[in-house]
Amino acid sequence: MSRPTLWSTADMDDDLADAVDVELSMYAQQGQNPAIYDQLGAQIEQLEPLLAIQQHMAALAAVPDVVKSFIVSFHQAILNRDLPSITMFYTTTFPKLTDRFYSRAEWPEPEIIAPLLSSNNATEDQVHIFLVLYRDLYYRHVYSRLQPNIDDRFHSYENSCELFNYLLNSPSSANDESDEPAPVDLVLPEQWLWDIIDEFIYQFQVFCSWRSKVKSKTDDELMMLADGTGVWSSYSVLNVLYSLIQKSKINEYIVALKEEQGKENPRPAEEVAQSISPYTALPLYRTLGYFSVLGLLRVHVLLGDFTLGLKVMDQVGEFLLGGSSFGAKTNKYSFTALPTLPATHISTHYYVGFCYMMLRRYPDAIRTFVTVLNFFQRMQRMRNYSGYERKDQYDQIAKTADRTLALYAMCHSLVLPGSPFTRLDDNITNTAKERYGDQMGRMSRGGSDALVAFEELFLYACPKFINANSPPYDDPEAIALLLNADPADAAEGSSPIPTDPTHRHLRLFLASAGAQSPLPTLRSFLHLYTSLTTEKLSSFLDLVKVNESDKEAVEDAEAEEEAIQEMMVLKQSSKSLSRIVPVQGKVDKGNDASSAGVRAQGSLLAGEMISTSDLNFVIDDNTIHIAESTVGRRYAGWFIKNTERSQRVLDEIRGSPLPRGKIGQKQGVPGQKKPTKTVAWGGAGTRATVDA
Amino acid sequence: MAASWITPPTRTELIENLVSGVDRYNPSNVGILEDYLYHQIRSQEYDCLANLAILKLYQFNPDLYNPDVVINILIKALGASPLPDFNLCISLLDERPPNASLDEPDPLPVLLPVLHGLHHLLYRCRFPAFWRAYRSDQLESLRDNYTVECAGFEDSIREVVIRAVKSTFTRIGTDRLGLYLDSDSPEELKSYIDKLGWTLNSEGTVVNIPANLDNQIEAVVVQESIKLPQLTKVIAQAARS
Repeated sequence: MSRPTLWSTADMDDDLADAVDVELSMYAQQGQNPAIYDQLGAQIEQLEPLLAIQQHMAALAAVPDVVKSFIVSFHQAILNRDLPSITMFYTTTFPKLTDRFYSRAEWPEPEIIAPLLSSNNATEDQVHIFLVLYRDLYYRHVYSRLQPNIDDRFHSYENSCELFNYLLNSPSSANDESDEPAPVDLVLPEQWLWDIIDEFIYQFQVFCSWRSKVKSKTDDELMMLADGTGVWSSYSVLNVLYSLIQKSKINEYIVALKEEQGKENPRPAEEVAQSISPYTALPLYRTLGYFSVLGLLRVHVLLGDFTLGLKVMDQVGEFLLGGSSFGAKTNKYSFTALPTLPATHISTHYYVGFCYMMLRRYPDAIRTFVTVLNFFQRMQRMRNYSGYERKDQYDQIAKTADRTLALYAMCHSLVLPGSPFTRLDDNITNTAKERYGDQMGRMSRGGSDALVAFEELFLYACPKFINANSPPYDDPEAIALLLNADPADAAEGSSPIPTDPTHRHLRLFLASAGAQSPLPTLRSFLHLYTSLTTEKLSSFLDLVKVNESDKEAVEDAEAEEEAIQEMMVLKQSSKSLSRIVPVQGKVDKGNDASSAGVRAQGSLLAGEMISTSDLNFVIDDNTIHIAESTVGRRYAGWFIKNTERSQRVLDEIRGSPLPRGKIGQKQGVPGQKKPTKTVAWGGAGTRATVDA
Repeated sequence: MAASWITPPTRTELIENLVSGVDRYNPSNVGILEDYLYHQIRSQEYDCLANLAILKLYQFNPDLYNPDVVINILIKALGASPLPDFNLCISLLDERPPNASLDEPDPLPVLLPVLHGLHHLLYRCRFPAFWRAYRSDQLESLRDNYTVECAGFEDSIREVVIRAVKSTFTRIGTDRLGLYLDSDSPEELKSYIDKLGWTLNSEGTVVNIPANLDNQIEAVVVQESIKLPQLTKVIAQAARS
């Protein structure tokens, strides 16, 4: 049988079936056609030493034919800027081949497959770029399926830098006289662009956490780390993201879009983009800029800077989140001008919600979480119909959604029960109760149990915080100090600042949550009265204390003082900064049906104080006056729903065929639907006459 | 209300550009921000985001670290309670490498738990306990070295107290108020109350707090308001048939 050519473009799906045969036949016939190998050898010879060539050739021969043809076609598609094929190769074929051949091994190294690419009439530059992109996929595979070693980490960093350098600083073409960098002529699917940014930050995060484990390093690694202090430094990561944002002028673009929206005849989005800069005009840069903003949010949260995270989202956030909150106007451009992938949607809301939670703005956090959880539930339902292509991607999204649910459960218990916000989405609350019912019960009761539950959920759901700085690898004394440090001296639970960033944030969060733990009990007492003296309240609390713990009974005056101070805390906790403010009419409060009922502030950090509790009280010297707000019966929704249902039933009946007539009668109008507009239909009486 | 927290009116344009732009990462700008902090300390102003920018620079450039600056920032943040400013500052304090290149021993690890404790007391509205702790001997170093330089530190704490008291009470006994405000004598208390514009009752034992958003309560029944435009769809459909 004739030897299958190296560059066959046979259909890949067919090849997959007999891939094994192909592999074997290649090995069998390796010796029979040396000519082709000679050709290859001549090409590579100038670039690498002889031994390496032989190794590479052997490795190249070991690569399955299918994979080879995939690589060639992929390269061709990128050269041709053929977006649909690139998308197909990237989202479908690559994972399939990975699962088939490389589920436990690495893909062939870029140097090995390089000779395959020279056939495609590509310039050296273009081949080089393809290799950079290929390396991106290669390292992503290594990080996700295998354990990267220190070389992999350093190399993947260099590769990412090269890629971003190419995108940002490519010299302009020969025609252009200026020295300014010009936008690059490359087309990539959005999913890939998101994955590039996402993976870049993920590798950074993984590297930082690996780097801070000083004790487990070998000597070689210590040396390499001492030399390579610039690798994966926070500054370079931030630099990349900020440069992408600045180059693509994404914030100006969004501002311009908003202005256009207000005009009479808005220009199309592309025209707006053109008018800002040549970079903005290209979807590649717009998308990258937009994803970089989201990436920047993530990096800031990982470094523990929540306000800055929300601040960078100033323009984009209103775009992304403004349209999805209750009652706020949807942005006409929002779903056409900028890409929305499910992964970005969920990831962004998770981080924004987490920022709000650490800022103690629980209503805002809840609102964000509810939005995304509703989205995710819809996606789950649709998944069975549309068939999500990348299972691993879906798993990742599902995991983030689960953590978002945990955060929602925590915020739900922290916004004191009875707030209008917790009533709004029973659907999500039920889901949360199913999944985290035990913890939610403990959290809402307050007391020390609650803190344990909060800690569990927080540790599960929080992002993987990182330390911005590396341990001092370049200072041999300091490293020796760290390595020899007695574990018994290390910071224990009693120290208020644990060195691990996750625990530091956990401590802060628990302090806030802990301050609220006596409040549910307090509330339950207040519910029972409209007015109460402070003495009586303190005696109640005393009883509770005596029952709970083994504290001796405190002095009366002190107990009263305690009680009053708790009341102040209660009052403080029932106010919160919120971005969406209910309009201060009595009838509109908490009503989600009317759009006039809420007012959204601009940027994500803005907001006004609102009350989050239905239990209002005030202390008049020594008496507490309590007023409770209740929600009147809401019948409109039920009424409308049933009206519509009755209407549907009626239409159905009208549209259905008449019952068959008796013997010999004309078969009449079976199955004929009369439009409901016809007035000819009368009551039951008329029909009876037609029948008869 | 949050608008003035994000952009305090006392912030100059130079600082504004620094805080909102990419220049905030430039280590050579740390001097400008530190000077601004000292300006805040001397003139009783407060700018949370600018201070967080300083801490962020310290996070990325550990050799710029200046413990006095950090302590001053934390002290200023105490006065912002119950806003989460103090927590935000702590979030940005990364682990210090052991070979810190300072001339004197680092005072921060000692003072940090103390400041934490003070903040916790303030957040839980335990005002008498706060004053007791603050005046105690243990905190003498804090008082002598840091808070004495911060102009109006005690006043800013009193403002925290006033915020809490204003929202919770319509009338409060003078003794209790005096305890919360840590006023040494009734005259001092009286002058403070007058400054706030509050009034005393005839015997001088109870202070009346003016009405504000938080301490006026009424039992509200949240009714649903159905507007006609919302029903048009249903009515139109019914009218058609």
